[in-house]
Amino acid sequence: MDHNEAVRQKATERYLLDELDPELRDQFEEHLFDCQDCALDVRAAAMFVEQSKGIFAEPEVQLGVKAPVGAAVKPGWLAWLRPAFAVPVLALLLAIVGYQNFVTYPKLMRVANEPQVGPWTSVNVSTRGADATVLKAHPGEGFGLLVNFPPQDGFASYIVDLYNPAGKLEWSGPISAAPAGQDRQIYIPGRNRLPGTYTLVVHGINPAGESKELSRHPIDLQIQ
Amino acid sequence: MQLQSFDESYVERLQTGDFRTQEHFVAYFSELIQLKLRSRLNSPQAIEDVRQETFTRVFAALRDGKIRQPDRLGAFVNSMCNNVLLEHYRGSSRDDSLDDEEQPEIPAANVDILGAIANKQMAEKIREILDEMPERDRRLLREVFLEERDKDAVCSDFGVDREYLRVLLHRAKQAFKTMYLKSVASRPPGAVVAGKR
Repeated sequence: MDHNEAVRQKATERYLLDELDPELRDQFEEHLFDCQDCALDVRAAAMFVEQSKGIFAEPEVQLGVKAPVGAAVKPGWLAWLRPAFAVPVLALLLAIVGYQNFVTYPKLMRVANEPQVGPWTSVNVSTRGADATVLKAHPGEGFGLLVNFPPQDGFASYIVDLYNPAGKLEWSGPISAAPAGQDRQIYIPGRNRLPGTYTLVVHGINPAGESKELSRHPIDLQIQ
Repeated sequence: MQLQSFDESYVERLQTGDFRTQEHFVAYFSELIQLKLRSRLNSPQAIEDVRQETFTRVFAALRDGKIRQPDRLGAFVNSMCNNVLLEHYRGSSRDDSLDDEEQPEIPAANVDILGAIANKQMAEKIREILDEMPERDRRLLREVFLEERDKDAVCSDFGVDREYLRVLLHRAKQAFKTMYLKSVASRPPGAVVAGKR
């Protein structure tokens, strides 16, 4: 193989891409060792290939996109999943879950299943209470409302609304019609409850689905 | 590594043991021998063994005045390398050769500091060339060179033929060659490219 033939056949590229059959490869090598031009060609291309491998092996971001010099790389939110953060956080969560399962929940269950003693007042729906009923409770203590519905008033069910001292609806719930003479108890939790005048409003719902306000009872809650 | 003519004067300097010439000779042909052997031998140690044995025999031939065509020195080295390779294939040990003869000290293929700097500059140039390539060409070369996937399969995946791959490598080589030539020309004799083999 002479130089012109080597150039015409792109022998350098084919040699490095391992495309030459053994006979042609031997012929090209015989020429290569004698021809400094082809040797330079092959060495330059081989250097390009080898260095490219190193560059390609680098993280993708380094090709094409150059980070500004000195710019700090911001860790993404996934950085929180790094063991340095994740392990202590998981350990803390396990401790919290363990405490809740073995201490908090049993205590709550015990309290919930025990008889409770607390303040209460009765509300008679058939009488519109103009004067506020005074109810005294300790901080954090809930209270009960014993609601008495008039017998045979023709309503299929009732809606009871509770407004807080600011006049905002705090709770609303349906109550099905009770047999004559039976009361319904509404328990109002005491947590974070502010003192002031609460208003219990009872609506009757007739079989046609129409609503009618039956009574409005102010309750003056005093925290002691 | 300066470009030098392989002529009668060069061969005479080798025969008389001129250290600079020997350094140049070993550095120049080491690269070619290693390129030649890497497609034929898997082990770097085997490549090194064959390289060393080739030089040992060539220096012995020089000393014995067996180089009769100085302008064909390269072909002689290639031919000697082929012989050593054949012997290697046959499982013969290089310890059998020239054991009792005085062996000339073969200059080591040194890696110099200037060479390392030049290599860094060359790597930057190559990065620049790759950066300027279309994304598809860059990925194609990556799959062929780094991942060493089957070339036909890669070309098929990218919708190109093998000639496209050759031309791509040819253009990249041409873009890099000027820089490479400048680098090797400015390097002292004996210094070789400190890249992977």
